[in-house]
Amino acid sequence: MRRVLSVSSFKIRVKGWEAIDTARSYGWVGKVLRVDLTDQTVNKVPTGDYRPEGFIGGMGLNAKIFWELGCPKVNAFDPGNPLIISAGPLTGTYGPFGRGEVCAISPQCYPDELFSYSGFGGMFPAEMKHAGYDGIVILGKAEKPVYLSIHDEDVEIKDANDLWGVETFEAQKALMTDEPGASVLVIGPAGENLSRIAVILNETKFAAGQGGFGGVMGSKNLKAIAVRGTGAVAVAKPDKVLELTRTVMEESKKGEVLRLFFRTPYTAPQETRDVFARKYFKKHYGCYGCPLQCHSIHYIPGIGLSGASCANWLWAPRFSIDPKEIWEANVLNQRLGINTFEGIIGLPFLLSLSYEAGILTRKEIEEDVGLPTPIWLGGTATNHEFLTALLHKIANGESPYTEGVARFAEYFGKKLVSGQKLVDLCNELYTARGYAFHHVDNLGSALHWATDTRDPIDSCHDYKNTLAPKERFQGAMEHFGLPLYDNYQIVDLSKTVYQGAERVTAWVQDNQCLKNSLPVCEFWSSIASFYNPPEMDLRIFESKLLSAVTGLDMDVDKLAKAGERIWNLRRAIMVKRENRTREDDTLNEPYFKKAITCLAGSAAGLVNGPIDKAEFEALKNRYYELRGWDVHTGWPTRAKLEELGLKDVADELTSIGKLR
Amino acid sequence: MLEVPKSGVLVHDPNLCVGCGVCEIICSLYHESVLGPALARSYIVRHPFAAEYDHNVCRQCSSPGCYFACPLKEKAMRIDKATGARYIDESECTGCGICVDACPFDPPRIKINAEMNVAFKCDLCKGREGGPICVEYCPFQALRFVSKGGRR
Repeated sequence: MRRVLSVSSFKIRVKGWEAIDTARSYGWVGKVLRVDLTDQTVNKVPTGDYRPEGFIGGMGLNAKIFWELGCPKVNAFDPGNPLIISAGPLTGTYGPFGRGEVCAISPQCYPDELFSYSGFGGMFPAEMKHAGYDGIVILGKAEKPVYLSIHDEDVEIKDANDLWGVETFEAQKALMTDEPGASVLVIGPAGENLSRIAVILNETKFAAGQGGFGGVMGSKNLKAIAVRGTGAVAVAKPDKVLELTRTVMEESKKGEVLRLFFRTPYTAPQETRDVFARKYFKKHYGCYGCPLQCHSIHYIPGIGLSGASCANWLWAPRFSIDPKEIWEANVLNQRLGINTFEGIIGLPFLLSLSYEAGILTRKEIEEDVGLPTPIWLGGTATNHEFLTALLHKIANGESPYTEGVARFAEYFGKKLVSGQKLVDLCNELYTARGYAFHHVDNLGSALHWATDTRDPIDSCHDYKNTLAPKERFQGAMEHFGLPLYDNYQIVDLSKTVYQGAERVTAWVQDNQCLKNSLPVCEFWSSIASFYNPPEMDLRIFESKLLSAVTGLDMDVDKLAKAGERIWNLRRAIMVKRENRTREDDTLNEPYFKKAITCLAGSAAGLVNGPIDKAEFEALKNRYYELRGWDVHTGWPTRAKLEELGLKDVADELTSIGKLR
Repeated sequence: MLEVPKSGVLVHDPNLCVGCGVCEIICSLYHESVLGPALARSYIVRHPFAAEYDHNVCRQCSSPGCYFACPLKEKAMRIDKATGARYIDESECTGCGICVDACPFDPPRIKINAEMNVAFKCDLCKGREGGPICVEYCPFQALRFVSKGGRR
């Protein structure tokens, strides 16, 4: 029986749950893999130990795992920093649910390294579940380069010496030859060399981008994780799931407009877009099981084949409108494993703005900063020469380029005569904690930025859409349980009233926790597309789907509560590990002093601030009250934590004197 | 040799396929009540760095080796009158695997479910109103159902 494909391991997994009660055996596949690279041990922990019915998966499960590990007060590149990668109960089902979430102490957060998160799409999260794991926790540090090979039950730490130094695409190809059918998470040279802006990549463009988690993998000498699974995800009510997938299919057709919009460089002139569409576009591309396929694949001879979506296009129009230059910026960035927001947006933007403002001269950029200057920096270098120099400095670990924009500005802030102005400019570009603007165009969003550990990606989608005029999105706000917020005129900060913004923030934060835990794709859960009409709100639709998949009785209120629980646990982690207090809940100073206009992408032209500091502090008071937290400290309270079933968290915070 | 009626077939267009895996998910959900390519009758092999995706599914051969090889022909391995699909009656199948060996394709388009000890393969969603479910759900129209009459 040479060619018989045995699927016996699958059936064992579906029916043979050991430590988990049957109510949790659907949706979740039952185990979290724990790998310690220092002592080379592999353990499998029942997912049920982490109460997935309360923390769902993804971001929530990761936070729970981090809490159980004691929220270690170590640096990001310390072997004790746990790298946690999870899928959610909906991963592997049909729809925009194919994503996973990476959490760890983030080297990109500035000035302090904070426990943070980054979502990623692609094939890996579903394949990880097919192999039988809801999550993977990597602890310790290998002595020399290794990769993790997972084939269903078989988990091996293998030598990766030959792969060290190899770019992301080539390394994946090599691993997929050795392990046919595997889906691979990989780091490039940037991650190996401990860049704070290195990504973890799957295929060409599915990256855990913000946070610098590629460097965390590099610090563990872990080049890649290759996973192959021959199992499946069992569902509690297949007929109901099938019925709901029909709704997803119908709804997803609305996404086509956005898919086409982001297919080519949407910030470039029409001629450039036409060239991409006509000559270079190959196919659409997206996560496993998703009908929307929002990315696109292009191929340019001599540069290569890769994927792109929204942020990948932002080399245009500021730096070039030439298709080849736009594509090279993207592909080189991906091959080296660098965060797009930093490598081809943040650093070049900072340099170009500094040059335009007379803060940096061409001479300083060439001699002190050490880069060949292209035309837009007053020089004669080509974009190719500039990009090659910049991106390789990042990937090679050359300080300060490799440290990210905030630390780059700090470094030259001390070194250059006009250094302080460079830092000031960076503080405008970078709203808080070392992350670039991503629309902070209303107060709800600003408060969200102030209370998160990185840039809340939701700030560029949910706030605007949730609060958009009734005629645009059918009054989404009221349907979604938000009280009517004056006259919707809060999209532009200059027209904003502060009253009530706290309600919007709390709502979006809970929403964010649910999206990153179920998971539901951020891009497609935008109210502009998938979640319009309001009956498709994720509390309404996903609670039905989650119930059908897992067999739990998860209604709208319970799901909303789970979002609040996850946000509170994340806050408890901030309080316990990072001594977070209300003083830390703020933005970079320029946002309180002047109006700042967003420069890039579809947010270009949006005006942020100035925010009235006294009004903002009053807003924070109302926010803490609404959250049920202590207004003076910004700490959660016992009453709130116990209401959310987090008594153990309250006890722990009491024992360290951080609960009143 | 026995005359076997013609069958309809699933046709895959590699130029349209984006490798999303929707066909695998919907197939395994519809037929096996789970989500996953291992129990899908139609499944994909991906080449992501070339944006090419192979789609593996039964070709419903005009001269079906699996059908002729089956020791329980017309009981375990049968021909669907409506579509002509060569299909497996799982209540009769003993899981001997001879049909898998007889499949001329690599990888073979018949799998063994070892737990249930039966072979399973694409039956063109026998009896389903609207035809094969993967065709209906494919978001890029990369799958097409060609009826037995339309087959050359």
